[in-house]
Amino acid sequence: MSLSVAEQLTQLDAARQLVLQDSGLYPQIVQGILPIVGANARLELRRWGADFLAETFASPLLVPQEKERLSIFILQTLKELLENQGEDNNVIKSVIQAAASIYALVFRYIISNQHDSATWDRMTAIKSNVFRRWDTASGGIRICCIKFVQRVVQVQTPGVVADPRRPEQNEVSLALVPREHPLIPPSRLEPEALGLLDRLLNVFHEETSDAILVNATLNCFGTLIRTRQNAANKIITAILNFNPLRPINSPLTAKLKVQIKSMEKTTRTVLMNVLRRNESGPFASRIRQYIDRLAQTRFETFDEGSKKRGLPSEPTDGLDNAKRMRLGAELPDRPGPPPLPPGPVSHAQLFTLSGDRGLTSFDVTQLPIDLIVRITVPVLHRIEQPAVDAAINAVRSRYLTLKKTQAAQAQAAAQLTGEDEEDYEPDFEPTEEQIINKTDNLPPEDPLQLPPDLALGPFKLPQPPPLTPEETEQIGKGTISRVFSMMSVLEEPSAARRQKPGLNRLAGSNYDRDAWMTVITRLATRASAGLDEDDSEDNEVVEPKGTIAKQIPKPSLSDGIRETLWKFVIEDFRARIPIAISWLNEEWFNDRIQSQNQGGSKASKRPPQRHYEKWMLKILDSIVPFLDAKDKVLIRFLSEIPALDERVLDRVKGLAKDPERVTLAVNALYYLVLVRPPVREICIDALVDLWQNFEDAKAPAAKLLKKLRPDVLNEDSANHAPPPPSTDMIKSPPPSDSKDGLPSASVKGEGIPSTANAVIAAG
Amino acid sequence: MATDPRLARDPRRTSTPQHPPPPPPPLDTQPNQYSQVDGISNPPNQTREDGGFKLKFCTVCASNQNRSMEAHLRLSLASYPVISFGTGSLVRLPGPSISQPNVYPFNSTSYDTMYTELNGKDPRLYRANGLLTMLERNRSVKFGPERWQDWAIGKPRLDHREDRGSAGVEGGVVDVVITCEERCWDAVVDNLVEREGKLNRPVHVINVDIKDNHEEALVGGKAILELADMLNTAAREERDKSGGEWRNGADGGGSSFDDRVPDVIGIWQEKWPNLPALWTLAWF
Repeated sequence: MSLSVAEQLTQLDAARQLVLQDSGLYPQIVQGILPIVGANARLELRRWGADFLAETFASPLLVPQEKERLSIFILQTLKELLENQGEDNNVIKSVIQAAASIYALVFRYIISNQHDSATWDRMTAIKSNVFRRWDTASGGIRICCIKFVQRVVQVQTPGVVADPRRPEQNEVSLALVPREHPLIPPSRLEPEALGLLDRLLNVFHEETSDAILVNATLNCFGTLIRTRQNAANKIITAILNFNPLRPINSPLTAKLKVQIKSMEKTTRTVLMNVLRRNESGPFASRIRQYIDRLAQTRFETFDEGSKKRGLPSEPTDGLDNAKRMRLGAELPDRPGPPPLPPGPVSHAQLFTLSGDRGLTSFDVTQLPIDLIVRITVPVLHRIEQPAVDAAINAVRSRYLTLKKTQAAQAQAAAQLTGEDEEDYEPDFEPTEEQIINKTDNLPPEDPLQLPPDLALGPFKLPQPPPLTPEETEQIGKGTISRVFSMMSVLEEPSAARRQKPGLNRLAGSNYDRDAWMTVITRLATRASAGLDEDDSEDNEVVEPKGTIAKQIPKPSLSDGIRETLWKFVIEDFRARIPIAISWLNEEWFNDRIQSQNQGGSKASKRPPQRHYEKWMLKILDSIVPFLDAKDKVLIRFLSEIPALDERVLDRVKGLAKDPERVTLAVNALYYLVLVRPPVREICIDALVDLWQNFEDAKAPAAKLLKKLRPDVLNEDSANHAPPPPSTDMIKSPPPSDSKDGLPSASVKGEGIPSTANAVIAAG
Repeated sequence: MATDPRLARDPRRTSTPQHPPPPPPPLDTQPNQYSQVDGISNPPNQTREDGGFKLKFCTVCASNQNRSMEAHLRLSLASYPVISFGTGSLVRLPGPSISQPNVYPFNSTSYDTMYTELNGKDPRLYRANGLLTMLERNRSVKFGPERWQDWAIGKPRLDHREDRGSAGVEGGVVDVVITCEERCWDAVVDNLVEREGKLNRPVHVINVDIKDNHEEALVGGKAILELADMLNTAAREERDKSGGEWRNGADGGGSSFDDRVPDVIGIWQEKWPNLPALWTLAWF
């Protein structure tokens, strides 16, 4: 008894060393020290004792049965310490920790010792003592109260009984308590627990949240969320309704910043933990939303918030300027980017123009990518061009100066070893860096200072060497094939779209295959119209026929396109006949335009080239051999191309040489007679020709001629002779009109083709 | 006897922080001597003499090599009880190229083994990039890197008596965990939620964001020591206060150490604006 406090402490320490070495000694030691560290002992001893008890009942090495037995022993001491008037905060703190550890143990003991009311009374006394301190004590104690309450809630709500045969394996919970237990009736304890849980969750609703309480509460929910479904729903809902970043009116002090950041981050971490355990749970999507929103609000409130609130104590730190600028101030008000810190700089530093501490230290990679996209795109939209330019220039000037200094330091750097590691910068002076960086956050005195060597002259790209004609041609071909390769990529226009053409359609506005087709045909026809003439001046060979092939030895670019287009159509002419038709319409239109221009300027020495007939006949020639008796393609083609002449009809007549296709030829002609009045006469002439000269066509042609031109039939039947040139129109030699603007037949055949929409729309 | 060489290093390091830490030759060449000395139960007494109450710290980084070990050494030199961990899955050290790191398992590989291995592989390279120097320092601090997730919290750490700073953390619990990277802070807090706070003991988890290179680790170590000093001062003040005038009304609330932690961090942060701090109160 005469031992001094210091000596006693040394002995106690020695005893602690013993139990740490051998947990089997705990029962002895705990019982041995209780009288020494009781409520009447000296403060140092009480502190030691409380700490020791907290440690002992937390120890994972002390076996649960032993712990349970010992917990009954220490109840009285804990109670007395708690009830000790003016007890030291540290003692209280440790006692509540110990109480939190033993609550479940005592509870289990009471389950099986239904009549030990004295023990339960002690525990209840401790419990209510803790509850009383919960709202009023200092933070250090209140967090321990929170943890104690969490334990109580855990014990007094039903858990899962893992194995009823081995009670010692089960988690202590209300589920183990018999219904009619005299001391701990579940019917009373469970409502109490739920009430306590509500009280725990109150911390999220309070007007001013104390970060330490919020954090302590958030961090203690691990078990409850995992093992108590009902409680978990309540807890998660409460957290989801909690906004750690709610606006604060008071100025943002350093402490407040730490607290807000802390609550935000803790909330996020706990929710992420919940989410990870249960990816598809009922709360998963809400949690994800909440976390996204939190990240966004943090970005706005915290990093920008520091700007908004401004620090009145530091009016010169550039934040005011930023704020004023938002109200519409001029650009020069914007503080220039701070100069780079001396010494080596990282890429991040090079590109960091903001002096704002929060912004520079913010790790953007933490944000989910979709959120970044959501933020970045609107920002890029709204950003002013001058601001971007200024920023680019600032970085550029930094980079240039940096390059200069680096070049100067190159030799010095070469001598140093240890450059392999990126981050390794031996000539870096860290302590000074800290101080310098602090001043860096102030705006520079002269925001517009730029190094003088930045005056860049206008940059001119040197002229490329001229291309040889061969190169031009080759490149042209490459371009054409690339243009056509788009066709295979583009999808067929959907049926729905195809059904709504009309005069209002704008050609090439759909970005589908049709549109691309329009682009190509116009490229072929109009883009280079008038250019080829100059080219072909040397080989001025005006073909007497002016029709098919070889008028220009050097194929022009647009002829290259036409050639490719023609091949494209021929490859699958049945499907691509509409393409051919619209192309030919373009050609025809272009020819007209050219000839008009020609007419306008008499200066030109020769007529512009005609493309329509040439390509139209070329297409016809290449499809006719493949037509079969039932093809509708021919009729469609003939009826929709913008102009027809005898040469076309000759080819149609040629079909009649094949007995199988006689009907096709006749029908095609008849159709034209019916629907294309301008070419009616020449078509009837063609029918007459058929009737007269083609054996197989006699019968069908005669049937039609009976209606259309009965006189021919009569004449013929009268003299049974090969017909004289019955009309002057027949067999007018095709070349006869090749010199003037248009072949006569096509003038006759001119009408509004049914697919002329594109042409019209082109206006 | 044991303290002199350690303390002698302290001022030198702070005065010339731009050099990677070269531990004094005597300790490195004879690690046994150090352990013998430390095996005696001097430290507890020394701690008491060294200003009474000390908070217990734990430093954490990814591999328990650079940042956490620098801080571990600093704190232990200031005679704080301290332990250290890494949160990574494996210990990763830079290798000859970025795709060929040197990888070791936690808990079982000693710093000495790594030192010997790397020294055998390419002494020039690993001396140049500071790894050997770092490992020399580390092997004078403790046996090898430990993994946070494998730490049995609350289990007595009597088998670590030879580690620096082990005196005072025999109970296997600390008051403050200081992580050196936000990723590690996340891992620690998440892991503690996962462990469900079975011990019912509060712990402050503080992140001090330090870039993973030797220079920054030195700066960071200094900053962490300063933070530790500030925290410890606050804790001691609160302890002395309630001890001295212990009739000031038990339920009167008022301040406590835990309440003051955010304050302290705020003040510290203004001094070290380049080491962004983060804090929470979690449970062991």
